[in-house]
Amino acid sequence: MVIRVEHVHKRYGLRKVLNGISFTADKGQITCLIGINGAGKSTLLHAVMGLTPIHGGHITIDGEAPGKQVYERIAFVPDHLTMPPGMRISESLRFMEDFYKGWNMARAQELLQFFGLERTERLGNLSKGTTAKFSLMLGLGQDTDYILMDEPFSGIDMFSREKITEVFTSDLIEDRGVLFTTHEIAEMERLMDKAVLLQDGKIIRSFDCEVMRYEEGKSVRDVMREVYQS
Amino acid sequence: MGTGEAWASVDFNSRDPVYLQVVRHFKEQIATGKLQAGQVIPSRRELGTLMKINPNTAQKAYKEMEEQQLIVTEGNSPSRITGDEEVLRAIRSELIGEAVDAFVASVRKVNVPVEELLDLVRSKYTEETNRQPKSDGGGTSGDQS
Amino acid sequence: MNRYLKLVHMEVHRFRYLMLFLMGIILIFQVGAIISVLSDELSLKWENPAYSSVRQPFVPEGMLSFTWVISQTNFYFIIPIFISIAVIGLYIFFIWYRDWLGKSTFIYRLLMLPGARCQIYLAKLTAILIFVFGLVSYQLLLLPVEKLLFQMMVPAEWRVDSYWPEVISANLALDMLLPRNVEQFFTIYGAGIMAVLIIFTAILLERSYRRIGILYGLLYVAVHVMAVMFLPDLLGIGNPDSFLYTDEIVGLVFGICLVLLMLSVLFGFRLLAKKITV
Repeated sequence: MVIRVEHVHKRYGLRKVLNGISFTADKGQITCLIGINGAGKSTLLHAVMGLTPIHGGHITIDGEAPGKQVYERIAFVPDHLTMPPGMRISESLRFMEDFYKGWNMARAQELLQFFGLERTERLGNLSKGTTAKFSLMLGLGQDTDYILMDEPFSGIDMFSREKITEVFTSDLIEDRGVLFTTHEIAEMERLMDKAVLLQDGKIIRSFDCEVMRYEEGKSVRDVMREVYQS
Repeated sequence: MGTGEAWASVDFNSRDPVYLQVVRHFKEQIATGKLQAGQVIPSRRELGTLMKINPNTAQKAYKEMEEQQLIVTEGNSPSRITGDEEVLRAIRSELIGEAVDAFVASVRKVNVPVEELLDLVRSKYTEETNRQPKSDGGGTSGDQS
Repeated sequence: MNRYLKLVHMEVHRFRYLMLFLMGIILIFQVGAIISVLSDELSLKWENPAYSSVRQPFVPEGMLSFTWVISQTNFYFIIPIFISIAVIGLYIFFIWYRDWLGKSTFIYRLLMLPGARCQIYLAKLTAILIFVFGLVSYQLLLLPVEKLLFQMMVPAEWRVDSYWPEVISANLALDMLLPRNVEQFFTIYGAGIMAVLIIFTAILLERSYRRIGILYGLLYVAVHVMAVMFLPDLLGIGNPDSFLYTDEIVGLVFGICLVLLMLSVLFGFRLLAKKITV
């Protein structure tokens, strides 16, 4: 049970964005893709979700290529709204229920409560922090084996960040494979199982965080400092 | 169980494995009597939320503690702190041993005669204990000095 | 309700206000024009019952017919119809680009739906057709209502009855929109659907290959326009020495268009499934 990315290449025009990327993200683990903006993190998630074509290599989710057959098993939470701004929150819940067999309405209701989202609110009126919570609610409301999140903490107020961090310590992500990107690890330092460091479309380091601490006594931040400043 | 405050205040450092820091926290709680022999402990899921750690890490910590026989799990009932007196005593001496080791390691650099040091320790320690009769000094500060 | 119908419903739901707005414009222009033309004529007639500006074949002197009203209001019928055509023309682009641009990128969600992506394409196409035929049927329903208005305003003794074919041919726009034979219907709406499909594919080319995709898209449109424009001549239509009869050429062109249309759809499906990028 694993997302496997093997030798993936991708370019926009002549610019290479992904340059032979290989890594795995296991089910039941939190894997973090770390890199500065423009390192290719979002593109990588898009490729895993089949939202952009790749120009070399393979991506599989439990052995299957990205595409319609995997969308009940893998959810994606981008860092912006993916529903029409004129929709109300309640309408978006109905939309999800209409289209996904694995939509868990009871859990979605709990999440609405947890994040303090108002059912009648129009999506276009939500603040950045609330939009992030709403998107996360849509992702976690699906019963999927994997959940991908693009910069779940970027540009969000402190209280929203705390609320979102809580998700990572809860049963909401238990037994799921979580793959998320970030350019600053902050509160996620002790929450991730595995770190994958990206630079210029290449993976420059990839390690199990607890093993790194145990064997080398280094925090994720230490390794980042080592890698990005050398 | 009065758990809340026993868990929430943990300050993790980022250079030691988180699961080992959790185990250590348990040991400290046991050594200071905040966790009693045979007491029921939170499920790994609850522990994740309480200590703000990833459930996998909680799971790993519990596995480690089971291996060290710190906690016992029988069938489907919740895990408990062991009732084994010997293990409990061992935890106490392990913690004291570690603290003393760290203390000795840092104080050796100053090169003090042992008698003088012991006197100093005695007076400081009584002073501290009298000042804060209830507190144990808190947290995982032991390995930093 | 299956996924495709749900998608169609959603697309229609998204342009419902735009459609209502156009319906409103059509109503105001046409009814307004009819009332103003009739009241001008009637007020003169009340003053002088012998007065008549109506000069029409087969209509007795001094009588008013609905056909006459329609022919007098040509301009005010054409305006809202042209506005509608222009709006739909723009909406063919907007129906795709609205999902990529702006505050929300709904295309992420659409592409991640667990079902064949061609349903997105078909749903958008169906939505456009519903938009077009919805307005055409609205116009069709509006005519009897307008006739009723005419009957209410004009006293029975000044009225002559009109036949619908004659009413429709009295107005240039209506004559084009509501063809009276099947061939004409297929030519007009078939060409329209073909244009929509070619534009859809061109848009998907642009959305897949971005900057260079604009070029691909324009080329794609140009090739099709050329094919349709020059094919009949190439096959020798109107040329007495031609190897083929005119009917055969028309049939052949029709067949080729059908093939091009199918290819456009399949190509669009493929782009959406394999090449599209968010």
